[in-house]
Amino acid sequence: MNFDLDQEHRDLADAARDFLSATASPAAARAMLDDGATVRPGRAELVKSGFATITIPEHAGGGGGSVLDLAVVAEQAGRLLAGPSLVTFARAAVLLAGDDRLADLAGGDRSVAVVDHDGPVLDAVGADTFLALRDGALVCGPGTVTAREPIDPTRGLGDVTLGDTEELVPDAAERWLHGERVGRTILAAEGLGAAARVLEIGVAYAKERYAFGRAIGSYQAVKHLLVDAYVEVEQLRSLVWWAAWAADHAPDELPLASAAAKAAAATTLEQAAEAVIQVHGGIGFTWEHDAHLYWRRSKVDRFLLGDDVSAYDEVARLAVTR
Amino acid sequence: MDFDDTREEAAWRAEVRAFLEQHRDDGTDRDTVWDTGTARTWQATLYDAGFVGVTWPVEAGGRGGTPMQQAIIDQEMSRLDLPPLINLIGIGMCGPTVIVHGSADQKQRYLKRLLRADDIWCQLFSEPAAGSDLAGLRTRAVRGGDSDNGGDNSHWLVNGQKVWTTRAHQSDYGILLTRTDPDVPKHRGLTMFVVDMKAPGVTVRPLRQMSGGADFNEVFFDDVVIPDAERLGDVGDGWRVALTTLMSERLSLGGGGTGIGPRAETVARHVAEHLGALSPDRQALVRQQLGKAYVAVLGARYTGYRQLSRISRGELPGPEASAGKLSGTRSARDLADLAVRVLGADARVAGGFWQELQAGLPGMAIAGGTDQVLRNIIGERVLGLPAEPRADKGVTFKESLAAERGTP
Ligand SMILES: Cc1cc2nc3c(=O)[nH]c(=O)nc-3n(C[C@H](O)[C@H](O)[C@H](O)COP(=O)(O)OP(=O)(O)OC[C@H]3O[C@@H](n4cnc5c(N)ncnc54)[C@H](O)[C@@H]3O)c2cc1C
Repeated sequence: MNFDLDQEHRDLADAARDFLSATASPAAARAMLDDGATVRPGRAELVKSGFATITIPEHAGGGGGSVLDLAVVAEQAGRLLAGPSLVTFARAAVLLAGDDRLADLAGGDRSVAVVDHDGPVLDAVGADTFLALRDGALVCGPGTVTAREPIDPTRGLGDVTLGDTEELVPDAAERWLHGERVGRTILAAEGLGAAARVLEIGVAYAKERYAFGRAIGSYQAVKHLLVDAYVEVEQLRSLVWWAAWAADHAPDELPLASAAAKAAAATTLEQAAEAVIQVHGGIGFTWEHDAHLYWRRSKVDRFLLGDDVSAYDEVARLAVTR
Repeated sequence: MDFDDTREEAAWRAEVRAFLEQHRDDGTDRDTVWDTGTARTWQATLYDAGFVGVTWPVEAGGRGGTPMQQAIIDQEMSRLDLPPLINLIGIGMCGPTVIVHGSADQKQRYLKRLLRADDIWCQLFSEPAAGSDLAGLRTRAVRGGDSDNGGDNSHWLVNGQKVWTTRAHQSDYGILLTRTDPDVPKHRGLTMFVVDMKAPGVTVRPLRQMSGGADFNEVFFDDVVIPDAERLGDVGDGWRVALTTLMSERLSLGGGGTGIGPRAETVARHVAEHLGALSPDRQALVRQQLGKAYVAVLGARYTGYRQLSRISRGELPGPEASAGKLSGTRSARDLADLAVRVLGADARVAGGFWQELQAGLPGMAIAGGTDQVLRNIIGERVLGLPAEPRADKGVTFKESLAAERGTP
């Protein structure tokens, strides 16, 4: 058993962090809220860097890498609240497998969004090509996007009205499900990064802020709040790695692993962000502080690719039939 | 990254599995849990087959095997829902302490018998006034009985009381932490011994637990004579010796695949059997509860696999291993609570397996480090948060006792 990242994954994480941190940051996310700045690093840069297209095969112009590779990058993206989400690229790579449009995506000539049936669509803003499941078939076409007032602007949510679509795959239900599961895995990886980062911010503050003559992190009420979040974050890390590994090597395990990772990510990021706001006291409730940017991410992400309630339900349904 | 067994591990797993499957009836016999005779025989059967104490050195009666081999045994035992071995505390805690700090003679006399459950061992650490704050213990050991008895230094005289001692009533030996010097700071005046539980002056009184059973005891020491040859480690070095014990506990609690309380798969099967009898609304609620506990168990299990991977690379488990126990005490209670709930009309009366199980779980959040103490350890040693100020710093044990009593 070797359930750990290899050196090449660690190197990949470092490279991704270097690239992403040049433009993406909580400050960039705040600028989007303040004055409608565009998302960083943005679609074009992400594609050009090659990080977004890791799971697209080499012959289609992608990196030919694994879901685990992408998850490693997604964790770094989550730490920096980068956008657009790597979820969309991961799903598109699954849905467009064998289709010429995949090369367009990898070449930066198409901006794809994946339309779920349940409301505002992730990274619809700026997309020109929309993939959807209609009557069991995978369809593709243009669409009109109405951007919605954002809780977390880095998620680019908008309502999509599809234009004339073309059927790409007739019986696509299985493929769609698989794309969703890979997407949930990457979403959870972004959640992991965000949760781990916001927790670091909280731990650092608990060491430097003094009250009643000692660091607040020495008070158990504060310490234990952070520890509980830490335990959840580390368990989420394990679930994310497992789901990514399953996507690459064990399709039988992917349904359970991806549902578990999705559910855990939703609750963990929320828990970590709220704990860290609490640990900061008044400053944690200000617009200037970064904590709410992570909190915003949690309040949106929990509803993406099915909410946490449906993910827990799926875990239970799989558990009782195992 | 992979979850695969190496070729050797796969061969080992096959060997373990074949043996366990062939002999499982001896192990799952209800008597194995309650009857010490049957339980000893079961452990001896496993030892003779080479499956107990595999990580122990050969000269200690073990096989000089790897933690990974032990983890595979644990996984296979858990897969078949086999109960833990009767001498688990001996194997996981007492034995490793003797291996590190015992004399050649002690190792020779004790270790192999411990592994076969010819002798059962207990851990005599906690006292009425010292649990989480273990170093505050009061049981006294005095060399030669007292200072003016003619300088007989070949034995110690022990007086005091231990409590919550699991299996003391069935034990042949115990490792006993005592205070030998009250005039130094409390961590420094301790000394560890092996004590013969059948020695004159040792009185064991079973304590009834909230679950109704009586697995733990209070143990009284009245002028118990312990030969100096039964000392473990140096005089005054008992805290360091105790840390060996507690570290070994962490190692034995660490791995993936085994955990606290019921297996999540077993609970899921049980829930599946009862789900159909519930209204659709109820079914949805039960699935939420199961889903949450199940995710927590999977998270802990796969985190355990990460630890196991480090162990198989030769690293020692660090304080982060406490996280698995911390989350396990919660998810075990959640699972047991759900398992009882789906019994419907029977849920509010005793007598069934699940009702019995639920009454035992609160103790898991106390034994082996309470939830709060584990949170302190993780907060301070993993996250690097500052420790709380302590009132017992820089004072001798005697002075700290006086402060507790409110006397100057
Ligand atoms: C089932 C079971 C089996 C056991 N078996 C054994 C055994 O075989 N051998 C043995 O030696 N002992 C055994 N114990 C004892 C166990 O190790 C102690 O009960 C445990 O360490 C707690 O000590 P205590 O009971 O004195 O509680 P205390 O230490 O008095 O704790 C009381 C409460 O205060 C909290 N607390 C204490 N200190 C702190 C702190 N610094 N910060 C925050 N909260 C704190 C605790 O979390 C707890 O909630 C067993 C206990 C149980 C329940």
